Amino acid sequence: MEAAPIIEARNVKKVYRVGSVDIHALRGVDLAISPGEICCIVGRSGSGKSTLLNVLAGLEHVTSGEIAIAGKRLDRMTQGELIVFRQKHVGFVFQSFNLMPYYTALENVAFPLTFKGVPRMKRERAARQTLTELGLETHLKHKPAQLSGGQQQRVGIARALVGNPDIVFADEPTGNLDSATSDEVMKSICAVMRERRKTLVMVTHDRNMASYADRIISLLDGRVVDIKVNDHSRADTDTTEGMHE
Amino acid sequence: MRFIDLLRTAFLNLWRRKLRAVLTVLGMVIGTCSIVVMVSLGIGMRQAMIDSYAQMGSLTNITVMNWKYSDPAGDGMGNWEEVKLDKKAVEAIRQLPGVVAVMPQITAWGIVKSGRYVTDISIMAIDTEQAAAFDIKLESGDFPSSRSSGGTYEIVFGNGVTSYFYDPKTGKQAVDRDGNSKITIDSRFQLTFDYNNIYNYETDPSTPRGKFYKLVPSGVVSAESNEFSWYCLMDIEALEKLAKENETFMNIDTKNYNQVIVKCESTEAVKSVKAAIDEMGYGTNSLQDWIEQSEEQIQKTQYLLGAIGGVSLLVAAIGIMNTMMMSIYERTKEIGIIKVLGCRMGNIAGLFLTESAYIGLFGGAIGIGLSYGISTALNKLLVNSGLYSLIPVYLAVGAVAFSMVVALVSGFYPAIRAMRLSPLAAIRNE
Repeated sequence: MEAAPIIEARNVKKVYRVGSVDIHALRGVDLAISPGEICCIVGRSGSGKSTLLNVLAGLEHVTSGEIAIAGKRLDRMTQGELIVFRQKHVGFVFQSFNLMPYYTALENVAFPLTFKGVPRMKRERAARQTLTELGLETHLKHKPAQLSGGQQQRVGIARALVGNPDIVFADEPTGNLDSATSDEVMKSICAVMRERRKTLVMVTHDRNMASYADRIISLLDGRVVDIKVNDHSRADTDTTEGMHE
Repeated sequence: MRFIDLLRTAFLNLWRRKLRAVLTVLGMVIGTCSIVVMVSLGIGMRQAMIDSYAQMGSLTNITVMNWKYSDPAGDGMGNWEEVKLDKKAVEAIRQLPGVVAVMPQITAWGIVKSGRYVTDISIMAIDTEQAAAFDIKLESGDFPSSRSSGGTYEIVFGNGVTSYFYDPKTGKQAVDRDGNSKITIDSRFQLTFDYNNIYNYETDPSTPRGKFYKLVPSGVVSAESNEFSWYCLMDIEALEKLAKENETFMNIDTKNYNQVIVKCESTEAVKSVKAAIDEMGYGTNSLQDWIEQSEEQIQKTQYLLGAIGGVSLLVAAIGIMNTMMMSIYERTKEIGIIKVLGCRMGNIAGLFLTESAYIGLFGGAIGIGLSYGISTALNKLLVNSGLYSLIPVYLAVGAVAFSMVVALVSGFYPAIRAMRLSPLAAIRNE
């Protein structure tokens, strides 16, 4: 936390209007995440953790408050500007993988580069490289339906990483996977993020998964209630339950 | 996003839903086809009309007359005024831009006698130099020369003149038993302008009879010379000389012309040249006037035909819109995902518009191909009905472009809808 934070949120509020009722999803969140940090947002369903991720990733506008990523104010950008911003700085991993079913693994990973205007040869080379990094070099030509859940999510991670973003946001990345596969996927994503020294912000309700993070931010009713810093020397040897009482 | 990637991605998106794409394209094929075939019938009608006028005379000619119709009140009660159409006027017309040649038209009636047989002819005086510009073609021989030695004149017979000879006493045609004319171009001919020489009407004996002139045919006009093919041609100087000698019978003013024919460089130039001559104060008419009038009528028919064809194109356009809207509802999540992955707003609209344009392009192209087939079949089936289908290149190209435009317009609203979809749709888990 010595370096300037890459993500900064100040008094972020988000209100949804459902019919005539206002739902306060975020009630004033303050947050600072350093570059290279692996950060986990946990909380019960309805705690506002997904909303926090969405506003941090610039998928939604905040109702009030400030969000700055790499010094740029997201709350002041239009939707078009947000897309350009995401294209340059942000990768996204989905819970349900969201791979294009008619594209091969390689094409799926290369897809975001298409929007950046990267020529085909170049983007396929980058995609192959990223997939190899995640141990999928033998499955380049497979379509999502021919891959297991864990493999699909690794393709999803490769797709988020192919543009070499500063920050990767992951929304319940292991939510659709069994526990063994979840561990496998978490290990590979954390390894890649650490190696690349990039920031990962992930939302989960699974405390086991949270143990991979450097910092765990707990949310309840739209407020940050607890921030814990993980000691990895213990986490590697110990069971994870012991850490959080 | 690169343009080539845009094209490729849009094509793959379309191709993934093959049946629906094919059906939508089919709608466009039928739409294009119906409008093209309908319009081609209209164009065929117009071409047939122009062709029929072209048979009547050259479409690039303007006839200038020595009178002018002025109707200042515009109520059809105007006046005819005579204006002077002389050599000076001819020169002035010759100077107008777009004019290729000008020929004063002096025509006269005469009687040609060959032995017992006679025939009436109408003689047109021509300027040999100008005659070629007016597409006066000779079937045989040469244009008449201005030489007139000792009462002998050269003439070019009108097409078929030799078969019109008859005996003025019995009224019988000059044909032999096989029906061939007894008179040929090699017969001896005499020309006179005095009808009394032939028919011996009761007249005042003190009036002098008209002279006979020896006539030597130098050629025959071709039947392909449009409005000139039935005229006999004589040199203008020769005819002027004859007119002076036969003033009592011919009554031709050799100083002032009744009619002048103006040849324009193209059918497009006719309008401006005609307007310029009108401005000079002469009455004019050309076949173009008739064509213009008929065109108005045909245009109305064309609009009607086009509108009938347009209905199916409209249905096809609604089909495209429906297909694109359906496709957006189906792909809400996919659109959300690509938005999260960094697809720009413009690219999303571009993808959907490109898909629509593909439908228009394929529909239009296949539709044109089919239209050529239908057109050929129609022309075979309707060979004697007077209906005729013609697809000019501009119609083919225009139809494909038009169907693409129609497709783009129908795809516009769906594209905007797609662009506005929230990226959050991608996050929602079903």
